[in-house]
Amino acid sequence: MTYTESDLRRLLTERVREQDGGEPSAHLDAIVRRGRRTRRTRRAMAAGGALALAVAAAGLMNVLPAAQPGTGETAAAQQRADSARVERGPELPETYAVVLGAERFDLALIHSRHFETMGVAQKVTFSPSTFSTGYKVVCDDPRAWVVTVERLKGGEPGGTAGRCDSSVGGHHDRLSAPSDWLKRPQSLQVWVFPADAPVREVAEAVTGCPVTPVSKDCDEKAQSQALMRPEVRERLSAQLGERPGRWAVGVYDRPAEASPGPD
Amino acid sequence: MDDGFAEYVAQRHLRLCRMAYLLARDWGAAEDLVQTALAKAWLAWRRIEGNPDPYVYRIIVNTHSSWWRRRWRGEVPAETVPETADPRDAAAEVDDQAALWSAIGALSPRQRAVIVLHYFEGRTLTQVAEIVGCSLGAVKSQLSRALTRLRVDPDIQTMSLEKVPR
Repeated sequence: MTYTESDLRRLLTERVREQDGGEPSAHLDAIVRRGRRTRRTRRAMAAGGALALAVAAAGLMNVLPAAQPGTGETAAAQQRADSARVERGPELPETYAVVLGAERFDLALIHSRHFETMGVAQKVTFSPSTFSTGYKVVCDDPRAWVVTVERLKGGEPGGTAGRCDSSVGGHHDRLSAPSDWLKRPQSLQVWVFPADAPVREVAEAVTGCPVTPVSKDCDEKAQSQALMRPEVRERLSAQLGERPGRWAVGVYDRPAEASPGPD
Repeated sequence: MDDGFAEYVAQRHLRLCRMAYLLARDWGAAEDLVQTALAKAWLAWRRIEGNPDPYVYRIIVNTHSSWWRRRWRGEVPAETVPETADPRDAAAEVDDQAALWSAIGALSPRQRAVIVLHYFEGRTLTQVAEIVGCSLGAVKSQLSRALTRLRVDPDIQTMSLEKVPR
């Protein structure tokens, strides 16, 4: 089969119109925030570089007998250079370990998104390569609240909620993934709320928080379950607004040929 | 600081995302690419003279190339386009499109960028050379290799095949 240039143009035009979930929307605020962050990083690195040069120069002076009084200044300059170092956001693990009965395997990181703010819903879109797709959320603050919502096999929403350090995430297998899992891009919605967010107050106001049979009051487990309800998340999000706070979500999967389809 | 930046984003964001999608083949990654490019453009906005498109496109192409180098990709596109059945068959036509799309995915990031900029964005090869940062000769060479791998013959003019019942 040989194609023409018109075939190629038509294919490219048609492909970009096949997006599920509507057209991508521009978030000017997020773009400008990202620009400002980049500028801060560059300035910090430039300052760090200049200080490093100053340290090197001061260190050179220190080896000269006449410059020995400068030792204290060298230490001070070194401290400033260290303090100017820019911290990176939370790191996602490269692999995601899955244990299914006797079967154990690792999923590889195929997609990741990093965020600088919390308190609002974020949608992460990805193209799974098999039915064994997992995801994990990591946060700068391990006590931050995390909620993930995805579509389950019957189309109903499901997911996880809890503190960020409680291994928030999950994975599909061939029994749990929706039948169209490999046919189109899939998405995951993630909310991250500050550790001190008034989850209990909002949950009690909305649901009374009588969720788990083992909980006598609205404890953390019950609060986690309450966060799975959209009305709790919406009220909490409206109350808190968007706030600074770094976190990341990783999507993990197997190579395409490694997993059979669903029964 | 604005000077038309917000207006540019409002007008061009969707088009940029579509172009980025053809490079990255994932809408999430495409949006991330565009946001990265626009954030860098915002920083340099007052220094950009004239149309910002070439500057923004260049960032998208370069950022995609660097991500492509360091990321594992689950997709394993075919090296060559498989032969297919009767081209007038509707199912075969779908297969042909899928095969061509798969073959585009097998191109190097630079070759894919040249294809997308020339055939989707309608840029001349001189403009493509400016965006990807290489000579016109290098772009022609990349384009020729890419078209060979895609089995696109630029000498064949478009002709509409009549769909006849079989």
